[in-house]
Amino acid sequence: MILKIALKELKELFREGRFRIAAVIVFALLITSFLVSKRYYDYVNEQHEAARKNARNEWTGQGEKNPHSAAHYGTYAFKPKYPLALIDNGVDKYSGVSIFLEAHKRSDAQYMAAQDQTALSRFGDLTPDFVLVFLIPLLIILLGFNAMSRERESGTLRLLLSQGVKPITLVAGKWLGLFLPIVLLVLPVFVLAAFLLAGVSNFGQFSMAAFTILFVVYLLYYAVFTNLTLLVSALVKKSSLAFVALLSVWIISCLAMPKVTSAIAEELYPYPTQSEFETQIAADKKNGLDGHDPWNAASKKLEAETLAKYGVDNVSQLPFNWDGYLMQQGEEHDAEIYFKHYNLLKETYENQTRVYRTTAALSPFLPTRFLSMAICRTDYAAHWNFADAAERYRIMLVGKMNGDMVDNSKTGDWDYLANEKLWESVPDFEYQPPAYAAVFAANQSNFATLLVWLLVSFAALYVAVSKIKVI
Amino acid sequence: MFTSSRYEWISLLRDKWVVALVIIFFSITFFAVRNGHEKVQERTQSIEEVKTATAQAEKKYTNDIDSLSRGLKSAPEPWLDPRSLSVYGQRAGRVVAMDAEPLALIATGQSDLYTHTVKPKLYGEANALGFSELSNPVQLMFGTFDLAFVCIYLLPLLVLAFSYNLLSADKESGVLRLTVSQPVSMYQWLFNKLLVRFVVLALIIILSILISLLMFGVPVEVGVMKLLVLVLIYTLFWFAVAFLINLFGASSGNNAIALVSVWVVLVLLIPAFISQSANTLYPVPSRINMIHQYRVAEAESNKKASELLDGYLRDHPELASQDSTQKNQYSFWLKYFASVEVIQAAVKPVVSEYDAALEEQQHWVNQWRVLSPAVLMQNSLNELAGTSTGHYQNFRKQVLVFSEAWRSYFTPRMFKNERMQPEDIANLPQPGYSATQVTTHYTTDLIGLFVFVAVALGGSVLAYRRFVHTGLVIA
Repeated sequence: MILKIALKELKELFREGRFRIAAVIVFALLITSFLVSKRYYDYVNEQHEAARKNARNEWTGQGEKNPHSAAHYGTYAFKPKYPLALIDNGVDKYSGVSIFLEAHKRSDAQYMAAQDQTALSRFGDLTPDFVLVFLIPLLIILLGFNAMSRERESGTLRLLLSQGVKPITLVAGKWLGLFLPIVLLVLPVFVLAAFLLAGVSNFGQFSMAAFTILFVVYLLYYAVFTNLTLLVSALVKKSSLAFVALLSVWIISCLAMPKVTSAIAEELYPYPTQSEFETQIAADKKNGLDGHDPWNAASKKLEAETLAKYGVDNVSQLPFNWDGYLMQQGEEHDAEIYFKHYNLLKETYENQTRVYRTTAALSPFLPTRFLSMAICRTDYAAHWNFADAAERYRIMLVGKMNGDMVDNSKTGDWDYLANEKLWESVPDFEYQPPAYAAVFAANQSNFATLLVWLLVSFAALYVAVSKIKVI
Repeated sequence: MFTSSRYEWISLLRDKWVVALVIIFFSITFFAVRNGHEKVQERTQSIEEVKTATAQAEKKYTNDIDSLSRGLKSAPEPWLDPRSLSVYGQRAGRVVAMDAEPLALIATGQSDLYTHTVKPKLYGEANALGFSELSNPVQLMFGTFDLAFVCIYLLPLLVLAFSYNLLSADKESGVLRLTVSQPVSMYQWLFNKLLVRFVVLALIIILSILISLLMFGVPVEVGVMKLLVLVLIYTLFWFAVAFLINLFGASSGNNAIALVSVWVVLVLLIPAFISQSANTLYPVPSRINMIHQYRVAEAESNKKASELLDGYLRDHPELASQDSTQKNQYSFWLKYFASVEVIQAAVKPVVSEYDAALEEQQHWVNQWRVLSPAVLMQNSLNELAGTSTGHYQNFRKQVLVFSEAWRSYFTPRMFKNERMQPEDIANLPQPGYSATQVTTHYTTDLIGLFVFVAVALGGSVLAYRRFVHTGLVIA
């Protein structure tokens, strides 16, 4: 019986111009956005590969230099783009792509794409995620808002129920009749994407499992909207009112809630401004050890301690290059200050994330958005992971440069030069993104919220339908 | 005619929708303005902090120079001596601040992407100046719940919910048959319905916006009037669209679908299409390639730093020290300036490509923004708020001009091996920023919106002739 109803619904839907037009438009948008993203992705990847090679060549080919000058010259870490970014570009537009790695200073990622675009790009981009998270729920509402109220208005509900059809059977049929077309619409795009993505193997292997989970997440999201649509359609007697109610649901969960939540998160856990952040770091640095200033109080203390330890009375009698040693100590001290302040920043970001997760209870859009970005490795957590890896590499690189100076040159010998042997001994920056297990573990609450949305909306639909009376 | 609109008034005011609308619109407007206000306050506070810190540093350096030159204090190490031009120029830099415009709270615009205080120093290339603001990219992606969002996105949907059944409800309840049997023009009657609803909503909008702005201390000036005119014309456009769709005579449900589709196309899709095509047609060259070019030029210039200085002096003979026998205390930095000049010249073509590409994108967007009233609105609201792309580009230009002025004050004197004197401080270049240089497009945007209104109303006349006259609607 359920299948019969579903089949009837499907037939009716396919005959109707409304669905055909909407389906064609959404499908065309999905394909276009996918191809546009693919083009952009290929372009970015090409640039990235070239940039990596250039950065490495510049580093190894910098010629004879004092190791500390080399540390100042530094190198760059470039954020890779993974294949699934094609589906969901996440926050990539708003986070920089490259980090300069130099002595004494932790830099933020530079060059966010949004700054190289006009204000119009703030409306959103024509990417698959735009269609998947914004438009398809709206399509579900457009197709199903009168699924139940139509039967009531035309009197067929009375007829159906008098024939002995249980309301729940009727709704189950309607549910399939609404959900299946959406699956049919999205599935080809995902299959096409899977084929194209499997072919992309420049870097960052494509994980079929992650891709499937992404697909399932979207299906769960659509199931929630299907439930909500039928629920409202069953509760509200007039089709047009049902539509207005559902439209409000869509506006609140997809447009308003993300912004409202951002306002709450920023209010509760404000981010420092760039200048505040820099001032705090500078204040901490000023009170500490200055590797370039041997007259600094903290440096003097370290000098006295080191001299006492080695039982000599002058730094030139030390068995190693004191200048290099002092600079490395200063470097480690600075790195700790950066670590402290970036951790404070990270704490703020994690607190903000908690706010987003809590309010996800009010909007199925939020858990879906965050899960989608996390699986596509384009969320903020992925950016932090990359930035932290780059910082670890920077500390290693500078440490190696100072270490070479400490071991192989004498105190005061600033003319000491190292060559490509030292440069090449520094391994290339190879970034490994966190394993999917870790990504999923970090997103447990988003999975849970989405599932709760699904179960609660199913339950509400069940209760509402079993109370249907024909009056 | 007057009787019909009077009854329209009465029935509308008795409707609980109006009460709901007042409550909804006022609360979201208030919340939006409050959010904008919070952002502006944070911005102002941050600017104040930086200005205070800079002023304190400046005062300390002034005092130090004064006491050092009068011999009241013993001279510090050369690299800490504020009388040294290189120390002063680097450490006592002035801050260029982009103060918030009075209406900054109405639209966040691009203000969450960029910093509002930049402190140019003596060293450090102009490209190395940071203009980015520190923010959670998730917030940048979701955007701010500001008045611009309420007006551009939510207001049309409210209009839509308020008027999707302007005609169809009467048709569905049978009132329409009654009405057309009266000696009134159908078009006039419908138009009255539209007008009455528009006036009610317009009053709600004006009062909500004015009260919210006044509560957050925004003076009611020309800018606020411009804002209200813009919002009202935009609202009128959406009423006209609702009117047009109603005239096609479909059911309430289908009207609602049609209206939402128009909204999706005009507010979501067309802006995304224009922006996407701008990025595709005028892509900004790869930033990571720019880094490479820059580093190549840097490495080149470092290799021949001393030759560079000679070349630099040949180009700028006026800078060569009069007393060539005396070793210049700034010789290290002078070499550095010479190499910076070479690097800048080498990367200039690459850097100018970025500005050119962005300008072309902006030009493209300006051209095609007439395709969507939402884009016209966004553009004008950002411009009124002083948070448009143009404003930030202009700020950047003014910072670079000051940076150049600051450096030009010190470099020639460094070549002459001079030192900072107490009386020099009054002659230092002063930073300033003014938003008056930014070209705005308010009038064209307004005309564009009027054209949209005219098109929708013109369409409604045609639709009326076609559908209502032939009786299709009533049947």
